[in-house]
Amino acid sequence: MRPDEFEQRLQRQPLRAIPAGWRREILGNAEAACPGALRHKQRAARVPWWRELLWPCPQAWAGLAAVWVVILAFNLALREPAHVTKTSNAVPAPQILIALREHRRLLAELVGSPTDLEPPKRFDARRRGEISNPTLTVRLA
Amino acid sequence: MAPHDFLARVYDEHAQALFAFLLNLTRNESDTQDILQELFVRLARRPALLDSARDERAFLLRLVHNLAIDLMRRRGTRQRHQEHWAIEATPLFAAAAFPDEQSFREALGEALGELPPEQRAVVHLKLWEGLTFEAIAEALDIPPNTAASRYRYGLDKLRQRLRPLYEEIK
Repeated sequence: MRPDEFEQRLQRQPLRAIPAGWRREILGNAEAACPGALRHKQRAARVPWWRELLWPCPQAWAGLAAVWVVILAFNLALREPAHVTKTSNAVPAPQILIALREHRRLLAELVGSPTDLEPPKRFDARRRGEISNPTLTVRLA
Repeated sequence: MAPHDFLARVYDEHAQALFAFLLNLTRNESDTQDILQELFVRLARRPALLDSARDERAFLLRLVHNLAIDLMRRRGTRQRHQEHWAIEATPLFAAAAFPDEQSFREALGEALGELPPEQRAVVHLKLWEGLTFEAIAEALDIPPNTAASRYRYGLDKLRQRLRPLYEEIK
């Protein structure tokens, strides 16, 4: 809303200035009423930035730091047994080897001798047509 | 930095505007000083009061407006009549160099005094503080539409009251 001529005229009227003596009187009385709070405000103004950051809730920041410490400790504690297992795998104990051999032997007995098993098919490098087919040979004969 | 620097800064930046607003609202220089004193005592006791304020000026205007309303409520009808008498005696504007201009300022002061305080507050904040209706609404704790309508009513009354004089000196 743009002011019209009348409004502009009113706006141009200068308001009375505040009496000069009031400043000293008002500020003097205000300071006398409570100087301690103002000194506290001054101290607060000199607080470094990092304290200003932590100031709103230092307990929350301390709690957060403690939680991180617990998480790190828990993480380290979980890593330790894994390392031990890895090293034991590298050098198996003789008892385990003996037990393993015994286990294999029992399994072989249950399944049968290795000679009964069908030998694995070997790869033949010849083309399909060069391979002799016993069924076909019989018909030709 | 001296301990009173905080209060001095607030005073130097805002006291003139608060003084003019309060003088227009209370129409009494003594009351204006009392309210300003009360404001600065509160700031001295609780300097953090201003820390949360987005706009210091608007916040302080709101505080002094509330203090002025409290003061008016504390007083009875008899004293209100006395204040009405004081309306004509309290100059609101600076003295003018020319008689015509001086007459207009005096008439404007009287016309503003005849407005209801709620319209006067809005007209003052709009014309001499240059606040938007949203800012006025925030300062006076009223809806923006109410601020706008109070301003229109107030301005229309001033226009009617001052038209003869305004046409004469235009």
